Amino acid sequence: MQEREWPLLTATALAAAALAPVQIVVAAEFLSIDDAQRSLFAQAERFEEIIPVLTPAQKKAVTELAGPQPPHRSLRVWRAMRGTSLLGHVFVDEVIGRQDFITYAAGIDLDGRSTKVEVLAYRESHGAEIRGAAWREQFKGREGLGQLRFRADIKNIAGATLSSEHVTQGVRWLVALWQVTLRQGANPAASGSQ
Amino acid sequence: MPFPFSAFQLPRSASIALLATVLCGVLPRAYAATQEELEARVQSLAEQLHVVQVELATLKQQRGSTTPTPEVSSTPAVAAATPDAGSGGPTWFGYGELNYTRPSDNTAQTTADVARFVVGAGYRFDERTRFVSELEVEHSVSSADDPGEVEVEQAYLERAFSGGISGRAGLLLIPSGLLNENHEPTRYYGVFRNFVETSIIPTTWREGGIAAQGNTANGLRWDVGLTTGFDLAKWDASSEGEGQESPLGSIHQELALAHARDLSGFAAVNYTGQPGLRLGASLFSGGASQGQLGLPSANVTLWEGHARWTPAGWDVAALYARGSISGTRQINTTLVGNPVLVPKEFFGWYVQTAYRAMDNGSSSLVPFLRYERFNTASDYADIGLGLTPAALPDRKAWTGGLNWTLAPGVVVKADYVDFQNSPVGDRFDLGIGYQF
Repeated sequence: MQEREWPLLTATALAAAALAPVQIVVAAEFLSIDDAQRSLFAQAERFEEIIPVLTPAQKKAVTELAGPQPPHRSLRVWRAMRGTSLLGHVFVDEVIGRQDFITYAAGIDLDGRSTKVEVLAYRESHGAEIRGAAWREQFKGREGLGQLRFRADIKNIAGATLSSEHVTQGVRWLVALWQVTLRQGANPAASGSQ
Repeated sequence: MPFPFSAFQLPRSASIALLATVLCGVLPRAYAATQEELEARVQSLAEQLHVVQVELATLKQQRGSTTPTPEVSSTPAVAAATPDAGSGGPTWFGYGELNYTRPSDNTAQTTADVARFVVGAGYRFDERTRFVSELEVEHSVSSADDPGEVEVEQAYLERAFSGGISGRAGLLLIPSGLLNENHEPTRYYGVFRNFVETSIIPTTWREGGIAAQGNTANGLRWDVGLTTGFDLAKWDASSEGEGQESPLGSIHQELALAHARDLSGFAAVNYTGQPGLRLGASLFSGGASQGQLGLPSANVTLWEGHARWTPAGWDVAALYARGSISGTRQINTTLVGNPVLVPKEFFGWYVQTAYRAMDNGSSSLVPFLRYERFNTASDYADIGLGLTPAALPDRKAWTGGLNWTLAPGVVVKADYVDFQNSPVGDRFDLGIGYQF
């Protein structure tokens, strides 16, 4: 390798490292990522991970669409594939509960309908009631942000208010992200790179 | 609002590197590039970066990289990525409330107070093991000449096991009622906590011991524990103070050199399987004489049931709690002549409704109305004619007010309390509260 190529390679490697998502370790988990993917898109044959790349304008658009957000820690996104057909996207996200992060998964199909939510790991002493199937099923079939309003559409869990509100806000973020970058017909530059 | 994903934010050094990359690859011909061409090049660069990620990860794996392998399947690109989610240093949190209260019948008793100032620290040792603590200062200044108190409100280690079960050891909150585990000012209506969950359930009630909790997928949560309990030697029969205000509040030990010969046990269940609904009940029972000289064997038992329902904009709650102390006949025989003997029974209940009149996602306006009926000495053990105290009359109170959430975690409150059987206790309250 010629010496003059090193700066470019180094810069590229640094940039790549900076873009790499934070690793999600799910040790005290209820579900593995594999299980969550299959639960959200049972008909998918494989899941191809992508890294969304957003322009500043897209970031702003997502932020405005999603509304108030709790701190997030990391995000991973997959395309759910059956043969050559794209079925939808699977997201594994982490949002703060009160003191610690909740790892959860949600899916969005090609029509923009959200799936139920799966809780992969819940790390706090109080609030694990969001694991309840009935609460998580509330997200299923919601079409867009207008049907993902906390309390109005997604019922609160008394005693687990922060966890239920923050996961709801997190799903709103995912839907906004999908609308701006991943929806078919969205700006090509916004599409995730495989 | 800042972009919430750190994963999308480049560190400064990486930003410079990325900028250099873009400049090297794009700038020489940028003058001729259209917007579409530039976007295509950005997309191309992103794809190239991903390829480099994969290659780096593969190289690391081939060289026996010490980077922890994820416990779930993932692409090499993610395996190359960074830190263990289990370590992140201490976490800090807190809550507090500042109140103003003006008694209607005695305005000279009007007070303003930093009622609570609480800071909490947590630390995660690994993905399954964590420490949680809360340190509280009540009434601003704590010294021999001031009314304040400094209290460790929670301090426990928690270990998560499989199947949604966790175990705890240390100073724990007892899972009793709707408020005890959710006692932050942003969680309840009114400037002060309701009377029942203050006088009958001594919120914030904590004991030292061990406990286990489980949560099932069908919305059932259960708690069991073995802890320290109450100490009847702390009962102050000589003055009409805390004993009549809160029988259990006057004999709780808060793990401050707690007498621990007689342990207590608790069990609680809560059902949240129907979204918006919470149904629950709890039982706490244990010895309270602690083997101390002059105290006959005695037991304290407290049970309660509660419900909360939040259909579209409404928040309806109800709670019933009843406590009893056994062995009070023998104890009170030794206390005859004092103004406040130990009650055999005490109880309380309330119903509450609130309506979310305005809610724009980050702020809300919620008026509420609550009716309470409670009695801190509804029955005494018979110690003989003329010696057995008369039971206290039930106290009945309406509380109506407004919770105005300014921003998530910040609340301004106002309420008025009206006691039905006596003007004593009627008051106007203002308060601010926060939680982070």
